[in-house]
Amino acid sequence: MKAIDPVTLATPFFILTVILEIVLARFGKLEARYETKDTAVSLTMGLVSSAAGLLTAGASFAAAMWIYQHRLFTIPMTAVWAWVLVFLLEDLTYYWFHRISHERRFWWAAHVNHHSSQHYNLSTALRQTWTGGVAGTWALWLPLSLIGFPPAMVAIQKGISLVYQYWIHTEAIRRLPAPIEAVFNTPSHHRVHHARNPRYLDRNYAGILIVWDRLFGTFQAELDEEACRYGLVRNLGTFNIVRVAFHEWIAMAQDVVRQPRHLLGWVFGPPGWSPDGSRDTSAKLKAEWVARQAATPAEREAA
Amino acid sequence: MSTAYLIQFAVSATAVALMIGVAAWGTRGRAPRPLDQDRARRWLADEFPGRPLDAVWLASDGQGAVAKSGDSALVLSAMGDGYAARAIAWDQAAGATFKDGHVQIPLRYVAAPKAVLAFAAWPPRELAA
Repeated sequence: MKAIDPVTLATPFFILTVILEIVLARFGKLEARYETKDTAVSLTMGLVSSAAGLLTAGASFAAAMWIYQHRLFTIPMTAVWAWVLVFLLEDLTYYWFHRISHERRFWWAAHVNHHSSQHYNLSTALRQTWTGGVAGTWALWLPLSLIGFPPAMVAIQKGISLVYQYWIHTEAIRRLPAPIEAVFNTPSHHRVHHARNPRYLDRNYAGILIVWDRLFGTFQAELDEEACRYGLVRNLGTFNIVRVAFHEWIAMAQDVVRQPRHLLGWVFGPPGWSPDGSRDTSAKLKAEWVARQAATPAEREAA
Repeated sequence: MSTAYLIQFAVSATAVALMIGVAAWGTRGRAPRPLDQDRARRWLADEFPGRPLDAVWLASDGQGAVAKSGDSALVLSAMGDGYAARAIAWDQAAGATFKDGHVQIPLRYVAAPKAVLAFAAWPPRELAA
């Protein structure tokens, strides 16, 4: 079977729908907020990401092939049940990949780019990392080859997942029918994921099925009373694309050089971790938010 | 690297340029409003919840603001149609270089190295006195 790349096949659809979203927003036909420099950074990040991915694609595919040679079972690529199973297992893998990419700084350094826009539109979906391959998260998918899924099958399913996740980066779709919102990752659920409101931080890691978040306790519904504010806890102050791509890696290296004895914490602690607790982690921001909510009006005034 | 890939990349790059052009057209004439005191305070409250604002100084072009919050300076600087915000020591902000009507406040972060804000004088006259 000739391997297909769903992302390449979907690229014309990406281009047309980004243009459509901008044009319809311009004429007030749908809700979407664009800013030229922000869009330029997002799209250029996506373009270069596709080339950067080639640098490690060979190594990751070779590793998958090697593992596959030692597989436990032989799963046929032509069976429907095999595709159902790889869909579920790949999506579960994606959930944990995504969660670790948010909750540990080393992988956050690669993933932070995707969250660095203060906008949430279809171009944001294309703001992809340049350093994901180097961060090595592709290794999380190797167990699928060990089970016996052909690496090409896993690659195709990964591509399908990426294409699925494209269309949910929009403010133009508010809520879908309840049964869909209950099972699938939707624009509403993913807006929460991209929001920097403390209540919404580190929630909704799903790729296609939101059920993983419901199962593992990381689900948060979008609330009408709290509009999503997008971007990072501390937003970037530059559109310099090299700084956008590498800022967290550089900041992490600076921290390690300054305090090498805290290397493990600086590299593998949660984003925002510091030895003296002076910086903001998601957990700290959430705790402060909860405390503010619990405070009486008089206490808030006094604070 | 195959010729087919290079052609695909070149076509994608052209499409990116087209989309950026459409985005520029789509947002033309929609420059963000300059900050006023109310908006600056709302932004600061969102960025630094619970931090008291002793005083807020708006950049003369509305492209940012600096607030004093105890020993800290809360700095807002325009970033597209949004803002980047950082808290630094007040002394560091007050001692920032001021030249040609602009103060360059060092934020010391890779992705937000400095905020350049327009002011008639710096540090604010009422504090410099």
